[in-house]
Amino acid sequence: MADQGGSQHGIARTSRVRTEEQKNRDLERIARYHELEDQVRARVAQGDYSSAVFQLTSKLLRLNPEYYTIWNVRRRCLISGSFSKPSAGSSCSTACLTSSPTATTAPSSISCLSSSSATTPPAPGLPTAGKSGTTADPTVAAAAEPPGAIESAPSEAESHDFTTLKSELAFTIPLLLESPKCYWIWSYRLWILQQAIARLRPALARTVWEEELGLASKMLGKDRRNFHAWGYRRHVVGQLESRSLQGSSMVEAEFAYTDRMIKSDLSNFSAWHSRSRLIPRLLEERAADEAARRAFLDKEFQQIREALNVGPEDQSLWYYHQFLVLNLVYPDKHPAMTPGFTVHDRVAYLKREIDEIKELLEDYADIQLIYEGLFEYTLYLCQLERRNPKADERADLVEWLAKLKQLDPMRRGRWADLEREHELTAGGSDV
Amino acid sequence: MESLSDTLWDIVICGTGLQQSLLALALSRSGKKILHIDPNEFYGSAEAAFSLQDAESWAHRVSTGSGGLFAFASITKPEGAVDLSSSRAYSLALAPKLIHARSTLLSRLVSSRAYRQVEFLAVGSFYIFRPPQDTQNPTLVRIPSTREEVFSTTDVSSKAKRQLMKFLKFVLDSEASPQLETWQPYADTPLTGFLQQEFNMDAELQMYIITFTLSLEGNISTKDGLAVIRRHLSSMGLYGPGFAAIYPKWGGLSEITQISCRAGAVGGAVYMLGTGIKEMETVENEVKLQLTSGDTVRTRMLVRASDSASGQTGINRLVAVISSPLSSMFQSIVEGAPRPAVAVIAFPAGSLSTPAGRASEHPVYLSAHSSDTGECPVGQSVLYLTTLSTPDAKAVLERALDIFICPTSGDEAPQVLYQLQYEQRTGPDTFEVDGPIFTFPAPSPSLSFDDSTLVPVREAWKRVMGDAAVYAEYLVFDDRDVALDDNDVYDTW
Repeated sequence: MADQGGSQHGIARTSRVRTEEQKNRDLERIARYHELEDQVRARVAQGDYSSAVFQLTSKLLRLNPEYYTIWNVRRRCLISGSFSKPSAGSSCSTACLTSSPTATTAPSSISCLSSSSATTPPAPGLPTAGKSGTTADPTVAAAAEPPGAIESAPSEAESHDFTTLKSELAFTIPLLLESPKCYWIWSYRLWILQQAIARLRPALARTVWEEELGLASKMLGKDRRNFHAWGYRRHVVGQLESRSLQGSSMVEAEFAYTDRMIKSDLSNFSAWHSRSRLIPRLLEERAADEAARRAFLDKEFQQIREALNVGPEDQSLWYYHQFLVLNLVYPDKHPAMTPGFTVHDRVAYLKREIDEIKELLEDYADIQLIYEGLFEYTLYLCQLERRNPKADERADLVEWLAKLKQLDPMRRGRWADLEREHELTAGGSDV
Repeated sequence: MESLSDTLWDIVICGTGLQQSLLALALSRSGKKILHIDPNEFYGSAEAAFSLQDAESWAHRVSTGSGGLFAFASITKPEGAVDLSSSRAYSLALAPKLIHARSTLLSRLVSSRAYRQVEFLAVGSFYIFRPPQDTQNPTLVRIPSTREEVFSTTDVSSKAKRQLMKFLKFVLDSEASPQLETWQPYADTPLTGFLQQEFNMDAELQMYIITFTLSLEGNISTKDGLAVIRRHLSSMGLYGPGFAAIYPKWGGLSEITQISCRAGAVGGAVYMLGTGIKEMETVENEVKLQLTSGDTVRTRMLVRASDSASGQTGINRLVAVISSPLSSMFQSIVEGAPRPAVAVIAFPAGSLSTPAGRASEHPVYLSAHSSDTGECPVGQSVLYLTTLSTPDAKAVLERALDIFICPTSGDEAPQVLYQLQYEQRTGPDTFEVDGPIFTFPAPSPSLSFDDSTLVPVREAWKRVMGDAAVYAEYLVFDDRDVALDDNDVYDTW
């Protein structure tokens, strides 16, 4: 009975009318569900985390993946059963504790976690908390690499854990297909992935994470604008780049990925955003000198202008263009793409952009965002040159503002503010 | 069991072409007594697909005058064509039409559950052939049809891109105001004029747009052109990224005739191939038929195909098997898109010249099919070239084929392993009713499936069902299989 959640970017919800027959079937299903739930709770109350309970959680979660308590029961079943017994090291106990902090834990009579009750579990990266999740827990990472590790054949315990982990990941797949935005499923997946780092050698754990990247790409293929999926992707990439998985930088590959995503859908705000985040590291890794940086900026500007040429009504494109312009205007506030630019350079670039955008007006006379862009950039130009608008610029600003008032009368308050702020009121004009 | 003659049939369907087969599908749950015959030894009639051997028999029959609307069929196998595989490795389609995603045919196949038996492949990009200019080799230019494709293409200037975008947006909303008022004055005039006047498009850009219409005359009207383009654009991405039309595997529409007849048979219809009508007589409200099998049957209704040519121009076709997989034509350009199995190349009117030096009067369309279609073995491709019939048509098609397989780089040119050429005339384009005899219109030679083809099918169905006809149930069926028990959900893990 997993709910699909809100609209999935254009796919509307439909209301269902139930016949008498369907109603009875539903009542039956509900009864069976409650039966399952009661069974699980009863056994857990007695501290039973056997494989029988594990099987029950499979059935229950299949019906309701949002029942986060049951995900926790499943974790405990794995720890007390399927996973190989923890060896002396601390690695396993910290791994054991890596459960979702927001889940209500079952009553504390848990046999295996004798030493654990006092410590607070570290939070794994939840999909929306991409930033905090990017660094692996250092204690776990350190403990997973035994000092002086030599490549040897995987032990029986490690192979067994590998199989268990893969099987658990496979278990979540059909659930994700039904409920792609259910936080608890993703949280469980992340926990399993963390277990992979904790229990497997880096090379083996890496294969699991690489497959995860494949999954993230697939999810983004199905819904390119799912920002959860983008954040998740960044987390996975972050882990793949980290020491605990013997990783190296993936900036170039990720940058190429945004290229492909943009080519398949220009309107992908998340792809453009990802791109903007990658640029500083990209240029650094390429050890780009001033000439290379200038060439890079030229190419970025050209591409976004090409995009605006076919999609001037698309806000995500304007946001990215603005991002590039702000690089010129506020070199200190943003990681500078072109730190070597003089004011003269910046002015030249901005002037060019303004001219190019004016050309769009030839064929797109009624697109609001073009006028907003021109207005903003002209003021930036004056700011860069530390002057007030010249006479012809003032005339332009007044004209564009008039157009904005006509195209977007709902925001007349905003246009009035702009008018006053920049002293553009002509005597007796309508507001 | 009753013999054929003892039964008073509710309907006898003659011919297993697309419309007749869809009718059989539509009636497959009705419990009506249906006798479905076809004078050919194969299913599909004008929409059939042939192995090489079947093609030869068919071509022979056509050239001896019993081809119905088909004429002048000939087969050429160049000397030394050693790579030609066995006859059954091929399935050459007489009706290689692409079906737009928005087409009603697809929704009917879905609602009737028949879609499960067909494998659909993606139709990829449309290209325009640009003749050699100065010292440059001829090139194929991909026609952009989505915003992202317009963005990516390097063959169009910035200004032209803006015009193209404005037009694409216009078309998608062409049935609403104010767009409707803008084009209605041009409705029956050529689309090219409208593009020039209202969108300032130059000849090249106009060509791109016209190609989308797959218009055989090359001068499609504004009204028809906008409708076809809108169908193409609104079909884009409907069933997945990167494609606007699909193509049934194993021989195009032939496959649909096969599964429809199969459904008819499962529903109780009696099938007889190699059986035609020798004589017919209408007696009161019944039709008495003497079949070529010797049987005499009586039926309440007879549905058959039209076999007489109308005066209108038909088409010339050239089907060629070549020894190259043409991999570069069948690549998906969009992330996550399926690999296309069909690519369409247009040779605009005038871009080809015959050996005698005359320029082609009408466009030529080349539909390239990869082996993914099941129509030829791996490593080969099938090319279907079509143009409106003129005295030069045959020569023009041969020229188009020559140019197409001519290599632009240093690679070897692929060999032509097999060629089938024929003419297909057009017949009446509306159905006819004469008492209990219902005659389907002749198949149209257009390159993409037109939903108007489905109208006569429903008309026939209505007449067979009489008072029992419920439109909501037309081609709407439940699966014959038993639905999965909900209990299974509990036992999967």
